[in-house]
This record gives sequence, structure tokens and C-alpha cells, in this order.
Amino acid sequence: MAEPQSKPASIDSFEVRILRQEAPGRASYWERHRVDYEPQMNVISVLQKIAAKATTIDGRSVTPVAWDCNCLEEICGACTMVINGRVRQACSALVDNLLQQEDPNEIRLEPMSKFPVVRDLMVDRSRLFRALEKARAWVPVDGYYELGPGPRVSPEVQEQAYPLSKCMSCGCCLEACPQYTKVELTRLSGETDEEFQQRKRATYDQSFIGAHAISQIMLFNMHPTGKHEAAARLDQLTAPGGIQICGNAQNCVAVCPKEIPLTTSIARAGRATTAHVIKKWFDR
Amino acid sequence: MAEPTPQPTFFQRHEFLIRRLHSLSGLIPVGAYMCVHLMVNASLLNSPASYQKAVYQIHSLGSFLPIVEWGFIFIPILFHAIFGVVIIAGGLPNTGNYPYKANIRYTLQRATGVIAFFFIVYHVFHMHGWFHWDWWLDNVARPLGGARFAPYNAASTLTLAFRGVVIPLVYAIGVTSCVYHLANGIWTMGITWGVWTSPAAQRRATAVCGVFGLLLLAVAFGSWSGPLRTDPEDARAVEQKMYNAKVASGELDPQQAEHKRASGHLGEETAAAATEDSQQSNGGATKSH
Repeated sequence: MAEPQSKPASIDSFEVRILRQEAPGRASYWERHRVDYEPQMNVISVLQKIAAKATTIDGRSVTPVAWDCNCLEEICGACTMVINGRVRQACSALVDNLLQQEDPNEIRLEPMSKFPVVRDLMVDRSRLFRALEKARAWVPVDGYYELGPGPRVSPEVQEQAYPLSKCMSCGCCLEACPQYTKVELTRLSGETDEEFQQRKRATYDQSFIGAHAISQIMLFNMHPTGKHEAAARLDQLTAPGGIQICGNAQNCVAVCPKEIPLTTSIARAGRATTAHVIKKWFDR
Repeated sequence: MAEPTPQPTFFQRHEFLIRRLHSLSGLIPVGAYMCVHLMVNASLLNSPASYQKAVYQIHSLGSFLPIVEWGFIFIPILFHAIFGVVIIAGGLPNTGNYPYKANIRYTLQRATGVIAFFFIVYHVFHMHGWFHWDWWLDNVARPLGGARFAPYNAASTLTLAFRGVVIPLVYAIGVTSCVYHLANGIWTMGITWGVWTSPAAQRRATAVCGVFGLLLLAVAFGSWSGPLRTDPEDARAVEQKMYNAKVASGELDPQQAEHKRASGHLGEETAAAATEDSQQSNGGATKSH
């Protein structure tokens, strides 16, 4: 097989430093592994090799590193983690690029810092999905009778909507956002599963909703049927944890792997909430 | 036992409104006031008489001046500063890992806000002594180097208060922070309220806010250089003539005007300022050894 042009000169192996954590609430620690170089690896294949070897650089036998992944084509968002200090998908982070463009000696892997760690590189992103529920990120068509064909969507709206619909709920925008801060709750003794879930949801609902959900609100508010719930969605944007938390650092749009115009959505949401609140004040 | 579901605080429940008021107050009245303030002070570049005339105009509000000061300057600044601290506390700057331009501006907006806060607190003490009670002014403010400004001797007292290296340097840093905070604040305000939405519009807004900031910075350094180019004795002579004319016309009552005039003779103040100068330069010399 021909060597790829991008092979770093004279590299047989490289180091991988991983921030590990055994369980929620436990202390995290760095662990170093050495991985044999192969052309065209991605970070997932690196993690597979590390799991197979389960031995650190100083020869200690350790439990295999845990991580999440699914589609392996940057479509599902499950393998999102912090690689060399920057959040991205492990499946589309190519080793040749990392070694050549960032650090020729090592690759640093950390779990996302804004979500509770489940184990090693696996995090609990339920706050992200709860925000989509809060945002009513769907078109309401369920019912007991036939609604008929939906209204036509103009090409202009389609052009605006399509980029927003590419969101895969990976969490990059939230990880890079200086205004989105970690919320981690621990279950109290005597608390039932249901009570704990309820407390988590209530706490998440008061914390920043995030760029992904703001953008989904703008997506469904421009849909001719989704529009019927526009006021309820805008109410969520002015509620505790709403759009007001945004500090316009614009990291979200810079790190979004799907290149979604998140800051445009945020500014449009700013305009929509301005109009919505004034309307509410003077119409009631 | 179930943990009670957390209830949002008063601040959380009204945060949208508070943040929008915070955004608005930064421009009107705080930002607008700062522009007026810098332009009035820049009039000292023209002449001490121009500057003194502007100050007389402001003080012609008489007993309404405190109402205007509290309603349009102090309370809005305090509101903007206090909620500004709350906002800063809610964020976690990360320019180390994400060194993008907008992110650096986000961090700078917070840093300059903090600098501006301390600078304004110092500036109001340095010029006005914070409170106008005689006891406070005589026993606390003036001995600590505050309350240096006398409105009816505007140019001369300002010039004497602006001696040395440290004070002009503090003002240069403080004013630059304030100007950046306003110019960048207008840019973020445009996004917050939904004025500029697309990336192209935001880029144009960045350029416009940048030019505005540079122009205001020029005005700021114009007013900064005013006292450095003014001779306090010449200024004091002009101020005395203007004061005498106002008293002669009956516009000013000498009894009531007394607390707005420089207390000592110019000779004493100059001597005091000179002592400070020599102390500062001695301090500098000691450090350099």
C-alpha cells in the first residue's frame, strides 16, 4: 500500500494522554499510553488500540478506557470529546492531522468539561437533550384526525432552515461556550430515581439552554406548522436560563462541526424575543 | 425523602429583563454620558476659558444638578456595575483553548469592565472625594489626595490634580478601558437586541464600532492631554476674571459659590503638587537603583 503523503516523518509510535475518571463524582487523573503509528488512523481507532492493549506507557495493566461512539462518520455526535484542548468528534479527528498540525509528540484526550462524566471519556449529555424538550424542537402534528398536507415552504425559508437542521446535538457549541457552565447533581440518600430525575430536570431548566437549542427554536419557529408554537418557544427563551445568558463570545459558531450559523440564530432570537416581550407587555 | 425542587431566584426569574436593562443602561445613559464628559473635557484643549464655560453651563442647573447626577449618572453606573459583576461571575473565559477574535473580545469586555469599575471609583474620589460633607472632605478625602477638583476653578484644579507620572498613567489605562468597553458593548448590544444578525452585518458592525471606538479614544486622549498642556497660573487668572464677572452680574452668590472654588491659594497648591512630584520622582529613582 502506498504511504499517504501526510505521514509524519520518522514516526513509529506516539503518546496519548487521557484524562480518566472511574465513576461520577470521583477524582480524575491523567494516564499515558503509547500507540504504534499506522497511516490514516482516527482517534476512535487509537482508542480501540488502547483498549486492546490496556497497558500504560510504564507497563502497568489498567482497565480499558471507556468512550462513546456510534456512527463513525460525524453524523451522530456521540464521540464528542476534547482533543488537544479543543472539542470535536473523535471519529473525524485524524491522527495524521493532529500530529502534523498540532502536536507532533502526543495527543491529549479529555471528556467534555461541561457535562457530568459517566466514566473516562463518556459523559452524560441529558441536559443537552432536556434543552431540546424545553425548546419544543419538533413540529406538532400528532392528533386524532387527518390534518391534510402541510403548507408549502418557500425556497428562501428552506435555504435558511436547512443549515440549522444539520444539528446533531453533539454539544461542541456548549463545551466551547464560556457562558455554559457545568451542572452536576448527585443523588441524595433516600431519593428515588423519579425524584432525582425531576430535580435534575428542574435544575437543568434554570441553567443556560445553550446555542444548539436557541438555533432549533429559530428553525422550528420558521416552519409554517412549527410556527404555531412560536410564542411558547420564545417564552422559554426569556425564562430563567434563556437567551439572556449568551455573552456573544461566538465560540459556538467557530467550533460547530456542521458549520451551523449559530450566532445568526442567536441574533435572530434576540430580535424575536425583543419583539415578543414588547408585544406581551402592551397586549396584555 | 424528596429534595424540594429548586426554585428560581428573583434574579433568575427576571434575568431577561435585568440583562436587557443592563445592556440598555450601558449605552443610555452611561455610554452617552461618557461621550459628553469626554467632549466637555476635551474643550480644555481650546482654552481654560472654554472648559470653564462648559463647567459653568453644567453647574447652571443649580440645585437640580444632584438629581441629574444621581438619576442619569450614579444610579445607572452603579446598576450597570453591580449586575456587570454578577454577569462576569456567571462566565468562565476560555481564550486559552479557543483563541478566536470574538472570544478574546468577550474576555476583554469583562476585563475592561472590571478595570473601568475600579477606575471610576478612584476617579470620583480623586476629583470629587465621593461625599460632599465638610468633615469628610477636610479629614479624609483631601488628606488622601481626593476631592481635588473645584468646579469654579475647573482648569487650574484639574491641571494640579493631574501632576506626576502615575496619575496620568492610571487615567490613560482607565479611559482606554472605558472606551473599549463602550465600543465593544455597542457591538454586542446590536446582537443582543437583534439589530445585526447575519455574519456579514456583524462584520460591518465590528468595523463601525471599531471606528467609533478609535474616534472616541482620540477625544479621550484629547481631554487627557488638556491638563498636561495647561499652565495652572494662567488658568487661575482667567477663572478669577470669569468668576468676578458672574458675581458682578448677580449670577453667582459668593456665599453659596464658596464650596465650588479652590480652597487654598494657588501658591500652596502648586507647592503641594511639587512636593508630590518630587516624592514620586524620588520613589522612581529609588526603584531604579
